[in-house]
Amino acid sequence: MEDKQLNPNESIQLIEQMIRSTKNKLADDGVLLIFWGWLVVVSALVNYVGLQFQYENSGLVWAILMPVGGIFSALYGRYQNKQRNVKTALDGYLSYLWAGFGIALVITLVCGFSYGIKPVYFSLMILYGLATFVSGGLLGFKPLIYGGIASFICAVVSIFLSEMDQLLIIIIALLASYIIPGHLLRSKFKSQQNV
Amino acid sequence: MFKELDPILHSQLRLAVISILITVKEAEFNYLKEQTNATSGNLSVQLQKLKDANYIEVEKQFKNNYPLTICKITATGIKAFEEYVINLKKYITPN
Repeated sequence: MEDKQLNPNESIQLIEQMIRSTKNKLADDGVLLIFWGWLVVVSALVNYVGLQFQYENSGLVWAILMPVGGIFSALYGRYQNKQRNVKTALDGYLSYLWAGFGIALVITLVCGFSYGIKPVYFSLMILYGLATFVSGGLLGFKPLIYGGIASFICAVVSIFLSEMDQLLIIIIALLASYIIPGHLLRSKFKSQQNV
Repeated sequence: MFKELDPILHSQLRLAVISILITVKEAEFNYLKEQTNATSGNLSVQLQKLKDANYIEVEKQFKNNYPLTICKITATGIKAFEEYVINLKKYITPN
């Protein structure tokens, strides 16, 4: 492109072309969704199997794996920031949404147990659902919206289950709201990179 | 009545840069270069003109010890772009 004068039609075309090429860039590669999805599923499974064998301390798996996840997320976020050479307003909205989600999650996990285990599991599924539902709306990516709704439904169903069975419904909620949409988002992101 | 189009925006590369910056929060020099296929030298000159007109803000930082230039559109730039588009429409559908 050079410093040449344009006629009005060329100007309009140029504006449209530049806006379109920047606007359509997908802001999320799905990596953190997949990572967290599997991490929580593994933790819930270990916890569930442990409880089946009357191993009371199996809940400790959360205390070990969740901080590992936090460290990985922070490092991956830094790496992503370095790779990215443009920041859209959408990137800003998403980072505030997920930061707010993270803070709410930590508060729920640290303080919520004074209400018992069931309200904590219930709140977790509501939080997962909210974050993926809003992300899906912002990204215009329907699987995340449906995943969010599925997580809300799981939360409601979990009221009628025992603490132990709640762990199983958390796994279903995670599959629907993180893992499946995460993989779909990842393949969409990859196909876009190859264009 | 035809109003004269803003000469700062009525140039291919400067208009391309402003059109990109209007859709994003901020963009690095390299991103603008990739999107516009401009040479570094020419892009620098045009960015300086936009900066002199107070249409964009240019921030110099360092990333992994390499200099990094980040560009953002200003309120003046947004207003100028909007007026440019309004005037452009008059040229295309003259009534």
